[in-house]
Amino acid sequence: MTCPYLAYLREGDNKSFDHERPFCGATESFVSPMQADLCNDRFDFHHTTHCSIYQEYERNTELETPIDRMVSPIDE
Amino acid sequence: MAYTDYLNRDKLMLTVATTGGVHGKDANPNLPEQPEEIAEQVRECEKLGAAIVHVHGRSETGENNSARLQEVNDAIRERCDDIIIQNTTGGQAVLEERIKGIRTDPLPEMASLDMGPFNRDRHIITEHNRHNIDLLAEEMQSKGIKPELEVFNNGHLNEVYRLIETGLLDEPYYINIIFGGGTFSIPSPKNVLNLVQNLPDNSKFNLLATGPHQLPLTTMGMILGGHVRVGMEDNLYFRRGEPVKSNAQLVERAANIASNLDRELATPDEAREILGMK
Ligand code: SF4
Repeated sequence: MTCPYLAYLREGDNKSFDHERPFCGATESFVSPMQADLCNDRFDFHHTTHCSIYQEYERNTELETPIDRMVSPIDE
Repeated sequence: MAYTDYLNRDKLMLTVATTGGVHGKDANPNLPEQPEEIAEQVRECEKLGAAIVHVHGRSETGENNSARLQEVNDAIRERCDDIIIQNTTGGQAVLEERIKGIRTDPLPEMASLDMGPFNRDRHIITEHNRHNIDLLAEEMQSKGIKPELEVFNNGHLNEVYRLIETGLLDEPYYINIIFGGGTFSIPSPKNVLNLVQNLPDNSKFNLLATGPHQLPLTTMGMILGGHVRVGMEDNLYFRRGEPVKSNAQLVERAANIASNLDRELATPDEAREILGMK
């Protein structure tokens, strides 16, 4: 399964290209070719384990829900 | 290989790595990705004195795709006179993908051979174990493909010595010493000297340094009698804050430095001779 934040776009982040390229919805920027292997869970990679952006983004997104804010480990 | 080679005015082999597998056009729109645009830039670099081209294949989305090495090789052969094609067998793909670099038709004259893994982000470049290194070395030797031994850090030089002992390498050993961030050798003049002093007998070295280290350390490599690689795979900036316009821009600068240091550039044919490929 590919990362839910991955999309293939021609335009984004104030850039445009002749062909669609891998784009990360979490950072709102195009991703490098090697990073794209992780986004696509190619070979032995898995985005949940190997992508620090995914991990960070998920953590922050979780923290934004009211319930998480209440029990956030950062507040403890 | 040492300062005496510089004093002897040994010819310098200039390699261009136009594309690589790390950056995309989003980082610098002048980076060539597709076969035709790669070949076009390689031709310019050949005219400026590059004897070897290090080749990667990309899909239309800009992602790594070793299946496209064939198309890139064909386009380079079509446009260029005689430049030596050196395909990659590196990267983070599985061996079945990486081995395509030494299975193009016709075969490449050279190929890269990583001496071990290195880290990227939160993972390591996978499957660079001894089993795979030996397997690639064996196939290269049996096919007469000259390996460029990629020494990403000091420890990988131990692997070169190990591989020499297995008998899977032919002299002269061609060793690419690599300097940069992450788990590459720390880029400093002292570390260049240290690695060069520890090279095996009967070897030739090439120096590769990433980003802002490309200019000073490749210059140092020239003075130490080594050979150098430049290109957009390793460096996307011509100088601080100024993105590279094309691979030719970096090749031209390296060629000028070599000329000012009174080191003539080797033609592809002379490079074949230096590397024992003839
Ligand atoms: S960079 Fe990370 S978060 Fe973004 S699409 Fe790729 S795997 Fe997902």
